[in-house]
Amino acid sequence: MTWLVPLPVVVPLIAAGLALAMSRRPRVQGAISVAALSIVLAVAIGLIFVTHTQGPQVVNVGGWSAPVGIALVGDRLSALMLLVSAIVLLCVLLYSLAQGIADGNEGAPVAIYHPTYLVLSAGVANAFLSGDLFNLYVGFEILLAASFVLLTLGGTGERIRAGSIYVIVSLLSSVLFLISIAMIYAATGTLNLAQLSERLLEIDPGVRLVLQVMLLMGFAIKAAVFPLSAWLPDSYPTAPAPVTAVFAGLLTKVGVYAIIRMQTLLFTDGALDTVLMWAALLTMLVGIIGAVAQDDIKRLLSFTLVSHIGYMIFGISLANQTGLSSAIFYVAHHITVQTALFLVAGLIERRGGTTSLEKLGSLGKFAPALAILFFVPAMNLAGIPPMSGFLGKVGLLQAGLELGSPLALATVAGGLLTSLLTLYAVVKAWNKAFWQDAPEKLPGDSTPRSMFGPAAVLAALGVLFAVVGGPLYHYTDAAARDLQAQTPYVDAVLVHGDRGEGDSDAAGGDDG
Amino acid sequence: MLQLLALHLLAAVAAPAIMRRFGRKGFLPLALVPGSAAVWAVVNTGAVVDGRGPTLDVSWIPALDMSLSFRLDVLSWLMVILVGGVGAIVLGYCAWYFASGAKFLGRFAGVFVAFAGAMLGLVTTDNTLVLYVFWELTTVFSYLLIGHYFDRKGARRAAMQAIIVTTLGGLAMLFGFLILGEAEGGSYTISELIAAPPAGGGLVTAAIVLVLVGAISKSALVPFHFWLPGAMAAPTPVSAYLHAAAMVKAGVYLVARFAPGFAETPVWQWMILLTGGATMILGGYRALRQHDLKLLLAFGTVSQLGFLILLVGQADRAVALAGLALIGAHAMFKAALFLTVGVIDAAAGTRDLRQLSGLAKHLPWATVPGVLAAFSMVGLPPFAGYVGKEAALEALVHLDDPMSVAVLVVVVIGSILTFAYGMRFLWGAFARKKGVPDTSVDKEATGLYVAPNVLAFAGLFAGLFPVAGETLLAPYADTYPQGEPGHLTLWGGFGIPLLLTGVIIVAGLLLMLGRTAIERAQELVSVGPDADRTYRGTMRRLDSISVAVTSITQRGSLPVYLGLILLTTVVMIWTSAYAGGLRIGALKPWDYPVQAGVAVVIAVAAFLTARARRRLKAVVLLGITGYGVVLLFALQGAPDLALTQALVETITLVVFILVLRRLPAYFSNRPLKASRWWRAILATIVGVTVTFVALVIPNARVTDTIAELFPEEAYNFGYGRNIVNVTLVDIRAWDTMGEISVLLVAATGVASLVFLRARAGRVERIRDHDMDRGSVWASDSPGDDALVRRSRTQPVRSTRNRRWISAGVALAPHRRSVIFEVATRLIFHTMLVFAVYLLFAGHNSPGGGFVAGLVAGIALTVRYLAGGRYELGEAAPVLPGLLLGSGLFLSAGAGAVPLAFGGVVLQSAVIDFHLGYLGDVHLVTTLFFDIGVFLVVVGLMLDILRSLGAEVDRQGEAEGRAAPDVAHDSPRSTADDAQPLEDALAGGGPR
Repeated sequence: MTWLVPLPVVVPLIAAGLALAMSRRPRVQGAISVAALSIVLAVAIGLIFVTHTQGPQVVNVGGWSAPVGIALVGDRLSALMLLVSAIVLLCVLLYSLAQGIADGNEGAPVAIYHPTYLVLSAGVANAFLSGDLFNLYVGFEILLAASFVLLTLGGTGERIRAGSIYVIVSLLSSVLFLISIAMIYAATGTLNLAQLSERLLEIDPGVRLVLQVMLLMGFAIKAAVFPLSAWLPDSYPTAPAPVTAVFAGLLTKVGVYAIIRMQTLLFTDGALDTVLMWAALLTMLVGIIGAVAQDDIKRLLSFTLVSHIGYMIFGISLANQTGLSSAIFYVAHHITVQTALFLVAGLIERRGGTTSLEKLGSLGKFAPALAILFFVPAMNLAGIPPMSGFLGKVGLLQAGLELGSPLALATVAGGLLTSLLTLYAVVKAWNKAFWQDAPEKLPGDSTPRSMFGPAAVLAALGVLFAVVGGPLYHYTDAAARDLQAQTPYVDAVLVHGDRGEGDSDAAGGDDG
Repeated sequence: MLQLLALHLLAAVAAPAIMRRFGRKGFLPLALVPGSAAVWAVVNTGAVVDGRGPTLDVSWIPALDMSLSFRLDVLSWLMVILVGGVGAIVLGYCAWYFASGAKFLGRFAGVFVAFAGAMLGLVTTDNTLVLYVFWELTTVFSYLLIGHYFDRKGARRAAMQAIIVTTLGGLAMLFGFLILGEAEGGSYTISELIAAPPAGGGLVTAAIVLVLVGAISKSALVPFHFWLPGAMAAPTPVSAYLHAAAMVKAGVYLVARFAPGFAETPVWQWMILLTGGATMILGGYRALRQHDLKLLLAFGTVSQLGFLILLVGQADRAVALAGLALIGAHAMFKAALFLTVGVIDAAAGTRDLRQLSGLAKHLPWATVPGVLAAFSMVGLPPFAGYVGKEAALEALVHLDDPMSVAVLVVVVIGSILTFAYGMRFLWGAFARKKGVPDTSVDKEATGLYVAPNVLAFAGLFAGLFPVAGETLLAPYADTYPQGEPGHLTLWGGFGIPLLLTGVIIVAGLLLMLGRTAIERAQELVSVGPDADRTYRGTMRRLDSISVAVTSITQRGSLPVYLGLILLTTVVMIWTSAYAGGLRIGALKPWDYPVQAGVAVVIAVAAFLTARARRRLKAVVLLGITGYGVVLLFALQGAPDLALTQALVETITLVVFILVLRRLPAYFSNRPLKASRWWRAILATIVGVTVTFVALVIPNARVTDTIAELFPEEAYNFGYGRNIVNVTLVDIRAWDTMGEISVLLVAATGVASLVFLRARAGRVERIRDHDMDRGSVWASDSPGDDALVRRSRTQPVRSTRNRRWISAGVALAPHRRSVIFEVATRLIFHTMLVFAVYLLFAGHNSPGGGFVAGLVAGIALTVRYLAGGRYELGEAAPVLPGLLLGSGLFLSAGAGAVPLAFGGVVLQSAVIDFHLGYLGDVHLVTTLFFDIGVFLVVVGLMLDILRSLGAEVDRQGEAEGRAAPDVAHDSPRSTADDAQPLEDALAGGGPR
């Protein structure tokens, strides 16, 4: 079933080409996008089953056996990330299609929206599947380039301003990443992750530490880890709602994914665990304090986004199985809940004409369905049980106590405090936007059902996660076990000792 | 058990529909739902008392030790009956309490039933984490219920206060549970924890404290007592149920639940004594001065909760039995009292005891339950409250350790206060007062009176049969660690307890008589810090601190962010380099000395770039660094890379210059002056760091690079001699496929920004050009050089030979250059042919789709520069989107084709065939991939020329602006420099 592995990248790219060529026919474009992302979703579901039953699926692209060629690896972690991102991408796409139909396509450069969105999804999938460090960089570039375009869509002054912060910080992180790749290649002579996992152990530990630091910095910027996080709340909120939603859901999590990979596959000696844990604690607290200070829903959500990245980093820094498993669970949770909330923020903006909490009000009275749609994911974000946020958090806290170091205990306490302040922030928003009387009459009209649906699906996922919490945790536990053991990954790639499946070396042998 | 919970959930979801269908009478069918839970408990009474109550264990999330385990023991049984029974009665009361046209009843009913369900789960589960789940659910539902009248500011504030305070406690409790679960010998199963508490140690002690914090916050004990009176903003049935009978009892339940295992711990005992005791006294004291009957009861509830926790938190069996009895008694009398106040409120329109008078006469059926319940509360025989309190006194009197004596003293003082405010309640609600006219009352429906009477009489009956209570409750009290089993009785004989009761009654009456003086005194003297004010102050401080902190971390300034990122990186790298003991090893300065020369040129150019104030200068200097890299590639023997880099640099330069036409000539230096030196220092440090790293790390390699494998495999498996090209289109074709999608996105993105709204759907051709509207850039004043050319009035097409390029006529005459046009005519097609050659030759010689695309792109650039935007349309009469899209489609599609034949993605094949005289053809299928790359690159170039070139021209023209001319504007034009990017660089204030 390895033929499934490249599809989440190839299908959206083919579709993107097609969609761009069809740029005069928006309906066809929409159909192409929906079809492509549905295929990706189906493939992701397939990959979940295949990886769970048969182990990591490896493709040596073009038959070039690793480490010469690029290996694509779908293991349990990648498959889960793919599945969640496919769901989110599809929901947001449907939401934006509905928005396009509701608003009419005038006034927005929609012709390039679909191709760019598809390229973005290909980039995200590529980052999750790549088994090659440079190709991981390419995956990042794809999704970043697409995100630059999506973020500045429409080109208002505000968006350009926000976009310039985002673009420049992203480029800086890419440069750091690229330098790290160069250095890693210089030190080990390979780019294949599986081979790196072996070769990095052979080099001088001091050099390894520096390499780890450099790579981590690149990823930490993308994941918005404090003190490298300030760019995020300044750049996300200005974009159109679906764009912010998908960014908030996915892009930072690609960074988190990369950190998980590097900490479990490449740099396994735990040298930076303490640093990471400090970063986690500070990210949580500084982020949520920022959220408390906001009076705009989108900005508030952006700050909670940063803050909760801290939870995932905490799980990674614990470096035990429970911690990793919960971090993975939390990533899945956080992707869905943040996307849902930003989509709802978009609906609030339509209904109330603004996302400023000072100007909003009375939504509880006039838009009860919207109220439910906000309340459920907001409570989920705040970790109110029995929804997914709570389950992820409990796992993380258990893992922290399992480790039991003073810093881990302090971070557990910090996590609980963050949870409380998150609740405070969202309740404050709820009080103002939904309960308090609006200072002025709300200008918006009612929300189209078709936009409601995708947001509701994502909000409901948080509840669904609770129902299937048992199997899901079983899965993430297995994923974490694989990660910690490393052998499933490495052995699947380098099947012949130092070479992977593929014909290129055999061909060489025949002729030589 | 699960069925009951599911029933609650279903009913909650269906409630809005039910309420819509039946109006307020819909509460009656809904009341059956919590009622069914009580019935279930009653049916199981026998089994429960025998210790064979139903249990259930369903696996939920084994990884987290969360299982849906439930069991009905005596304590749970008691709580289920209270939660279910009182819940049903209060819901029934709602059917008459709300006005028939009241709004939002569906939501109210749904949340209410859901709350009852959560409460049911809370008191029956045997898993700490699941207990926390239900615990938090009750918090959230109570938040929604307190905020039922959400258009009132007080309700919103109170709801928020309640959820924050109780969640604070809840999270503390969760922390405690987690410690208890993860500790050595710990467990997430309550019964296991009680049976074998984890061995002591600081953490377990902390866990006990944390769990108790949860309990006391939920039960509104000091110092968290303030949220409960605030919560009285809720509709009265909510107050009766949540804030008297059910939710606030969760804390009492938790203490009772854990006491058998932990009550002997000193920290437990002290916390119970201090918080419970302080609460009992403070609540009673504050109740004495309230004028609102509901608030009076609220403070009374606070006091009683302190009392209950004080009792069930003791280690002694007899005290515990008294506590359990009082839990039941309290639920009945307090709910009855609240519901009575609800009746009074509805009938008289006020709850202020200063305005109420003579209700005893006018509202007899409110007076009866009021009196009965109040008597039970103050502990008069033969009510349930009396039985419990007597048992408590009796048990405490027989204990002589100092802790128990302290408890006894507190209980007596508290009871005196209770007696006083109980009497004050009766007087305030029902008595005829001097100087106050009889309150006029509306007639209320009979149904409204049912609930308080049922509850009040239940309290009477329970008191009349104390032995039944003892039999039922004793099994749980006996699980407590110390003391003799206690007894419940109406008559305990003469002794100290009876004496104390007498003291309580007399002192209470005295306090009641002196009520006016006490009220006045309380207004004058404030006792201790006002917890409510402290809470509000804390929250305000939290808000202002968060604003202060965020204004530091979130400057809104890009330079600050970049500086922070770079600084962090540098510090991290040097720290780790120091920790790892990194040293610069053996160095080889160069392969060829000329490399050093190139490096110096690059470095100088880079330095000057950073210093340049003129945009054009910066761009050109930047170009020099790029061409320097070209040289380095060439010197290393990499002609492909050198070629590609050279073309990229050229095109970058062209693009930059196209952009610069619309930008001021000079960088704005206004906002950056102050920090210039800091930035220079940081930049230097970063440069030094990266250099250091680059000098150290390559020496660490101990293995061969994979590059060693490339030459052989590229030829044998990739069928090409040009390794770079084979790498690009075959070995790492996956990267290339990704990168061309980046190109596609970048091209369309730039275009979308320039074209903004309507991405022009058509190509501007010369035939569309309306010569009468003037030619391109004609608005310029012609310079001297224009005079030598023909004027635009001359017929353009007169001489065919003069027409070197297709659309040159559209350009203003003084913009044209014959030499350029001729040159263009000569080289354009040659370049295209060369591009095609590069495309096909690439596999074995330098070239390839990427380079070919760049060459073709430069050819187009030349056409555009020579002839303006119509010329571009003539040169490439296609939309770039089509090129880009089909290119990506071709490349990615070609990659996917092998999948259909059972191959691997992007697998290549070689096709050899004869073409007779033309020779042999050696075709590698990667060519199709490379053609896709070519198309994308050409599309990119075309898109850039169309947007940054042609469209910018058109916009400039439409705005009537002169042709932007980079070379000639003055330094002074920076004054109106207001590009958004510059604003971002300048940095906003704290946001």
